[in-house]
Amino acid sequence: MSIDFNFIYTSFFQILKALPLTLVITIVPLIAGFGVGLVTALIRIYKVPWVYRIADFYVSFFRGTPMLMHLFLIYYGIPLIIDKLAARYGWTFQSSSIPILVFVLFAFSLTAGAYMSEIIRSGILAVDTGQMEAAHAVGMSTSQALRRIILPQAIGAVLPNLCSMFVGFLHGSTLAFTVSQMDILGKADVVASVSLKFLEAFIAAALIYWGLTVIAERITALLERRVAVYSKGGVS
Amino acid sequence: MISLTNIHKSFGQQEVLKGIDLTVEQGDVVAILGPSGSGKTTLLRCVNFLEHADEGKVQISGLTVDCKHARKHDIVQLRRKTAMVFQHYNLFKHKTVLDNVTEGLIIAQKMSKADARERALRVLEQVGLSAKINEYPSMLSGGQQQRVGIARALALNPEVILFDEPTSALDPELVGEVLSVIRSIAQEGITMIVVTHEMGFAREVANRVVFMDGGSVVEEGTPEEVFMRPKQERTRQFLSRYSSDWSYVI
Amino acid sequence: MGKSFDLSLVLDFVPELLRYLHITLIVLGGSIVLGLVGGVLLAVPRLYRIPVLSQLATLYVSFMRGTPILIKLFLVYYGLPELLKPIGVDLSRTDPLVFVIVTYALSDAASFAEIFRGAVRSVDKGQTEAAYAAGLTTFQSFRRIVVPQALIVAFPNMANTLIGSLKDTSLAFSIGVMDMVGRGQTLISATSHALEVYISLSIVYYVIVIVLEKGFALAERRLQRHERKKEVRGPAVRAERLKRIAG
Repeated sequence: MSIDFNFIYTSFFQILKALPLTLVITIVPLIAGFGVGLVTALIRIYKVPWVYRIADFYVSFFRGTPMLMHLFLIYYGIPLIIDKLAARYGWTFQSSSIPILVFVLFAFSLTAGAYMSEIIRSGILAVDTGQMEAAHAVGMSTSQALRRIILPQAIGAVLPNLCSMFVGFLHGSTLAFTVSQMDILGKADVVASVSLKFLEAFIAAALIYWGLTVIAERITALLERRVAVYSKGGVS
Repeated sequence: MISLTNIHKSFGQQEVLKGIDLTVEQGDVVAILGPSGSGKTTLLRCVNFLEHADEGKVQISGLTVDCKHARKHDIVQLRRKTAMVFQHYNLFKHKTVLDNVTEGLIIAQKMSKADARERALRVLEQVGLSAKINEYPSMLSGGQQQRVGIARALALNPEVILFDEPTSALDPELVGEVLSVIRSIAQEGITMIVVTHEMGFAREVANRVVFMDGGSVVEEGTPEEVFMRPKQERTRQFLSRYSSDWSYVI
Repeated sequence: MGKSFDLSLVLDFVPELLRYLHITLIVLGGSIVLGLVGGVLLAVPRLYRIPVLSQLATLYVSFMRGTPILIKLFLVYYGLPELLKPIGVDLSRTDPLVFVIVTYALSDAASFAEIFRGAVRSVDKGQTEAAYAAGLTTFQSFRRIVVPQALIVAFPNMANTLIGSLKDTSLAFSIGVMDMVGRGQTLISATSHALEVYISLSIVYYVIVIVLEKGFALAERRLQRHERKKEVRGPAVRAERLKRIAG
């Protein structure tokens, strides 16, 4: 078995240069997804007429289909829509001038939004019903109660999931490779094609992802411990 | 017919049992009392090797097991001579009441399903739960669950039944039903070792009382002797903490 | 540059894609079955704290859960032939399907191992003690008392892993497997209607996932019939609860 261990070492640092892009592709959707998820969760809980059906379908569809599909649907679908609109309204704007990264981030944000919505929704439902009653009894309006009492506790449900969400989207970022983004996997592929040392390059990439995952796990464990100090065992 | 000799047990640095000797004759109902941390539950669990004593010997009607060199086979044999009723009932959650009682009979004692069922129905009637044989534990009250636990132990026809604080986890109004079942079993002459906090019960039902504190047996004797005429100061201190309506009985 | 969007093509593509559904199912089935076996093998050393094997298992699980599926696919695709060369096994003409099943099986094994470990540990120790007290041996207690209860805890997680694995199979095309996505790629080259193809693919996956989810939900309810005392969360009760929470 002929593995060039030295090459694994050298390519490791070459490939690592793509880390910033990978982190962007991981973190931006998580943040955007949180916002989308929060809004969607509230829409679904309050059953806002008509809109909640769209929200339900959105969450169900994006959780029920592969992330790869999301990427391609957005990648092929949005330009079509934009170009149609451009033709109709005479914009000078062309979909081809939008960097592919935007589509990637948009698609993954939608994915993240769906998953976040579920987590936040079950987090809100898990909050003791007595909390809202108590908030009303103290004189708060529903929206005040939501903001100050319910949501903070529901967010507590998100934290344990934060790690698996981050890792999930870190791993998901590799899909950007299929639309020629130069993320870690993309860089590894380039390094591999140039040197023809495919196995070594991908081993290096694997080690990078593994390392990032372990770091993420350690950090969330630390965060959880600090939060647990004043939460004493969960939301409900 | 049951004897514990020189039982020592430590958890890490802390010695919890400091050389306990205990003999139980057939038909005895032994109540073990003491403050928390006295080691009484640990001692009970050493009898059926749910805790492995560091040193000492456990003998049950002819079978002696040296705690230090206990072999798996011997432990299983020993356990087949005993039965236990747990503080938190520990009924098999995924089995019906009837199956809970027959499980040990069929699997451990290799009884036929028909015989096991027959015996199970008998003991369940004895504890007053014939109506619930096809229910799952989650559907029963605490008192009912504990009675099933007692039935399960009875069905095994052991040399001795070990009770680990059988009523401690029960709501007050359910304690009575369980105690009366235990009382009726005692009256049948079944050998029992009961770790309990229920002083009144111990006094009424037991024919021997053992008071433990800090890992040793401080005093033992008949209920009269221990409750009315305690010889040790520690015993007196412990007993005085409990509301003493019985101490006014002359 | 693309031809105009044609919705009817979406309907035309679906049956064409379904012709390759069996490949996807073979990959899924093979990897789940092998993964279950692997999961048990990995969980046992850690549950019983067997030295060396337990640490190796932990490392393996960490690696598998710490790397993306695409990377694992490439590692197995390039690595397995290298690994087997010294013992004279030539994999140069193996169907990529084999590599795919191996990759997903190795990956699922790690997920299942974690699920099994957590499930067994969640069974109240008192259950085992009661079994011992009734005279059951270690093995009898494990098989008859612990495993049935652990499986109930594990089941929803295992169902999720299976569904997740199904979605992951969409990446198999990247090493040349002709499954539904692979067929989709050839359809795109032939017709240039990429969007329609991916809409069709999405519909197929969506339907399969929904069917699986409903099936698992039914199975879960059957498994939990001994816990029916708990409050039944029917839609009416849920609505009531929502009203009370949301004010």
